[in-house]
Amino acid sequence: MKNRGLAFKLVALILSGTAAVFLTAFSYYYRCSEKSVMANVEKNTRNLAHSTVHEIETVLMGVEKPARNFATLLSMGRQETDDVARYTECISSSNPEIFGTAISFEPYAMDRQSYYFLDYCYREADGRLARTRLGSDSYDYFTLDWYQIPKVLDRATWSEPYFDEGGGNIMMATFSVPFYREMDGTREFQGIICVDISLLWLKNIVSALKVYQTGHAFLISRNGTFITHPYSSLIMGHTVFSVAEGSGDDSLRRIGQDMIRGGEGLVALEGNPLSRARAWMYYAPMSSTGWSLAIVIPEDELYSDIRRLGRQVILIGLGGLLLMSVLIVVIANRITKPLRSLACSTVDIARGNLDTELPGIRTGDEIGRLTASFASMRVALKEYITNLTETTAAKEKYESELKIARSIQMSFLPKRFPPIAEKGNFEIFARLEPAREIGGDLYDFSLLDDDHIFFAVGDVSDKGIPAALFMAVVKTLMKGIAEAGMEPSEILKKTNVELCRDNDSMMFVTVFCGVLDLKTGSLRYSNAGHDPPIIIRRDRGTEWLAVPDGLVLGAMEESDYETKEIELRPGDKILVYTDGVTEAMSPGKELYSEVRLMEAVKSSSSDSAEKLTLEIMDAVVEFASGAPQSDDITVLALTFGSPKGPLVAQ
Amino acid sequence: MEIERYKQDRFCVIQVKGRMDAVSAPEFETACAKCMEQGDTAFVVDLAGLEYISSAGLRAMLVVAKKLKSNNGSISFCSLTPTVERVFSISGFRSMFSVHDSLTKALANS
Amino acid sequence: MLLWLRAMHRAVFITLLLSTVALPLMSLTGGAELHAKDLEKISFIPQWEPQAQFAGYYVAYEKGLYKAQGLEVTMLRGGPGKPSAGMLAGGGADFATMFLSTGIQERARGAPLINIAQVMRRSGFLLITRKSSGIDTPRDMEGKKIGLWGAELRLQPTAFLKKYDVHVKIVPQCYTINLFLRGGVDIASAMLYNEYHTVLNAGVNPEDLVVFSLADYGINFPEDGLYCLEKTYKQNPATCCRFVLASLQGWKYAFEHPEEALDIVMKYVNEANIATNRQHQKWMLDHMRELIYPSDTITPAGELSESDYTAVARELKAGGLIDGIPSFSDFFVNCVRADEK
Repeated sequence: MKNRGLAFKLVALILSGTAAVFLTAFSYYYRCSEKSVMANVEKNTRNLAHSTVHEIETVLMGVEKPARNFATLLSMGRQETDDVARYTECISSSNPEIFGTAISFEPYAMDRQSYYFLDYCYREADGRLARTRLGSDSYDYFTLDWYQIPKVLDRATWSEPYFDEGGGNIMMATFSVPFYREMDGTREFQGIICVDISLLWLKNIVSALKVYQTGHAFLISRNGTFITHPYSSLIMGHTVFSVAEGSGDDSLRRIGQDMIRGGEGLVALEGNPLSRARAWMYYAPMSSTGWSLAIVIPEDELYSDIRRLGRQVILIGLGGLLLMSVLIVVIANRITKPLRSLACSTVDIARGNLDTELPGIRTGDEIGRLTASFASMRVALKEYITNLTETTAAKEKYESELKIARSIQMSFLPKRFPPIAEKGNFEIFARLEPAREIGGDLYDFSLLDDDHIFFAVGDVSDKGIPAALFMAVVKTLMKGIAEAGMEPSEILKKTNVELCRDNDSMMFVTVFCGVLDLKTGSLRYSNAGHDPPIIIRRDRGTEWLAVPDGLVLGAMEESDYETKEIELRPGDKILVYTDGVTEAMSPGKELYSEVRLMEAVKSSSSDSAEKLTLEIMDAVVEFASGAPQSDDITVLALTFGSPKGPLVAQ
Repeated sequence: MEIERYKQDRFCVIQVKGRMDAVSAPEFETACAKCMEQGDTAFVVDLAGLEYISSAGLRAMLVVAKKLKSNNGSISFCSLTPTVERVFSISGFRSMFSVHDSLTKALANS
Repeated sequence: MLLWLRAMHRAVFITLLLSTVALPLMSLTGGAELHAKDLEKISFIPQWEPQAQFAGYYVAYEKGLYKAQGLEVTMLRGGPGKPSAGMLAGGGADFATMFLSTGIQERARGAPLINIAQVMRRSGFLLITRKSSGIDTPRDMEGKKIGLWGAELRLQPTAFLKKYDVHVKIVPQCYTINLFLRGGVDIASAMLYNEYHTVLNAGVNPEDLVVFSLADYGINFPEDGLYCLEKTYKQNPATCCRFVLASLQGWKYAFEHPEEALDIVMKYVNEANIATNRQHQKWMLDHMRELIYPSDTITPAGELSESDYTAVARELKAGGLIDGIPSFSDFFVNCVRADEK
């Protein structure tokens, strides 16, 4: 999918860009070619037109010259009839193109008898010359164009072409020259000498013109009448203006007007009867007759070469574009194929198969680098996951070990606190709140005998499982060593000795232990580096208990300990705690401290050991208010006698 | 916790600042071990900057002391802050170790 | 130029022409052999060379309208050297077309011809000049060179010039307009339906011409009419009137089917090798309509009104072209009304 998308986009973009560039260049080139072709055409047709005009005029000149010469001759003096006859014969014979020569006179200008005088020498069908005299009522030549126009205009003129029907519809034209006579200083018109020529040769010249392959030429008269044209139906019957009228072509009319005015130039003809398809026409004037020669070239032919070339170039271009699009698709494929396989592999990896091999790319390009990055990422991912798995496993293992440790710790602690009702002469309650990381606190109590209760609170130096285990050892040792009648200091001393043996880890434990005589209320106690407890007398206030000095258990084998004694009255309590209480930290990094503890105890209204313990515990927890507990918090409260019981022991 | 150690006369003085707890205690042991590698056997631990010490810290000190003892070395502590002084007292370390008021005294005495 | 040749070989030529015309005629009659005896043979010549000016007659012939009237007509070819009056007088043709002015003149001269139908009831005569000549009103023509056709065709313009008291240099104009195109004359005579269009198709733009339509200036002499010798009519009046009827029918048909009429005209044109084209003939035919069926009259086609006759005759007399005005009733035979009766 992606491959098609990319390839398609590439093809579209590159192709359209290239096509645009190609088209721009091509059209510019084509336009320039057209222009250059036109320039060439103009030059060529102009030359052709001029040379053709020249060729035609040369022939016409051959007709004009004798006429003009003889006109001059005729002007020089009176002529005899014979002279006139000789002249006409002479001219007619001199030039094979000349069909006939006529010398005609004004009324009575030749001689006083002749109203009409027209001597005509002409060529017969077999080529021989013949002569005749013309002029009668039925042939009143004075008003005819060939006579009157040069007379009125006072200059030599070429007639409009006409058909000579008698000779088999040959197209003819007549060149007339007026001649005069000087009479008393004034020039007087005498008559006309005129020469007829057939225009067949002219038709031949023009139709023989090689105008490219499909071009043609035509000649129009002063009136715009077609003298010669490939479409013979136009000849004589039509003028260029009637053709324009027929096709409603105003531009052609204007061109025709310019032609008969003697204009010259290259113009474009849209499709009209003159040339059907779009064509270019070069027209040039024939100044002697006032006619105009036009050369027409269909645009198709003019441009056929460059059009063909253009088509070929376009084809090549298209082919090239096609080839290019194929190439682009191939290249796009080459790019996206590794991308695709990379994508597949990545999907596989994402699913969790980190061992999926990435496609091997050996190219040094971006794709190769991408693959290499992916590969290293895969490896890193794998390692990370492995690490994570191991760490998680380790953590879980540790967590589970912690759980085990905690359960060991808890299992060693007495959980049952004998209710008052059972014994009636003491109340004991303890609570241990373990830290996140097992702290190694311990508490213990047991009845040595009916009258003596042993209790101890301890804090192992370390944290974690070793602490828990050590704590278990300490507790077990103490319990094992403590006997009825043994002094607390001795208990500590013996426990210390045992602990110091095989204590490579240098772990130690602080312990406060005491033995309460349930009959007398005498409390004998000893301390090994532990925080001094609080004595709460029922009616005499609360105070710190003065503890004897003693090194922590497990530090030095030779450590000595001291026992001290105080008297408890019924209702008096002793509160023992570990430094988890005093060193509990609030979020503001404040320590709970002994001061607060003492205050809390003093202000407590709880009378039972349990209540007091829990109250202190709550107070500490509240103080910490969410800050992580770094150490075990242990509180033990022992009440001598019943709090509400008689003040004297029974 | 910041630990600095330098040689003064024949003593390796270890200056401890900050708080010594279970996390930073090993650093103390390492610093002492370095001094021991250099062959020093007389240690003076300057606790002027020590704000707090936990049982783990005490343990570390005990371990170092025990090691020095087995090598016929000596260790003394000086310039204890009130908090640390109290902990030392209660734990009994005060009586176990030689503790001096100031560094000068410690250097003079051992 | 080589009109002399035509003059020389006129006879040969007419024979040739007749044969080209007669052949199709014969093929036509081939299918109606049974009725050949019944058809009356007559000949007709227009006053000039084949063109749409005579379309009605050609159409009448080609569409068998003459035949339907029991007439087998030989269509002769007119042109220079074959004046209608002369052809009638010489017996070369039984019927011919002619200008009214010419007809009156001939009659006044004593020629025994009569008008059996006045086909054109309005004049298409124009005097044209280039805008650059500066002539905008008739008075501006004073002293200018004006090209006028032959004697009888000079009638209308002469009356016009007299009306506006203009004195001009008259130059005889032959049947081409080239003298005007070459600038030989300032003003030229032209028929709206013919020479005017030729001038346009010689490259002169209408906006460059100033046109004086004589009809607009009150000189509106009817032109073409059908004529025959008096004795032809007296011999066979029915034939004459039937010829008129069929001819008028031909004109009607021509105006109703102009393209077909043009096809017929072009056929005659091409046979005679006339240098013209279909567009020119179309122009001519289009303008014939207003002249033959003028929109401003209720008199039926072919009828010559006495007032028109009198007007023309008076001008002729005033111009010194005729001495006396022939009687109208002698001159004109109303075939149209006769038919209606």
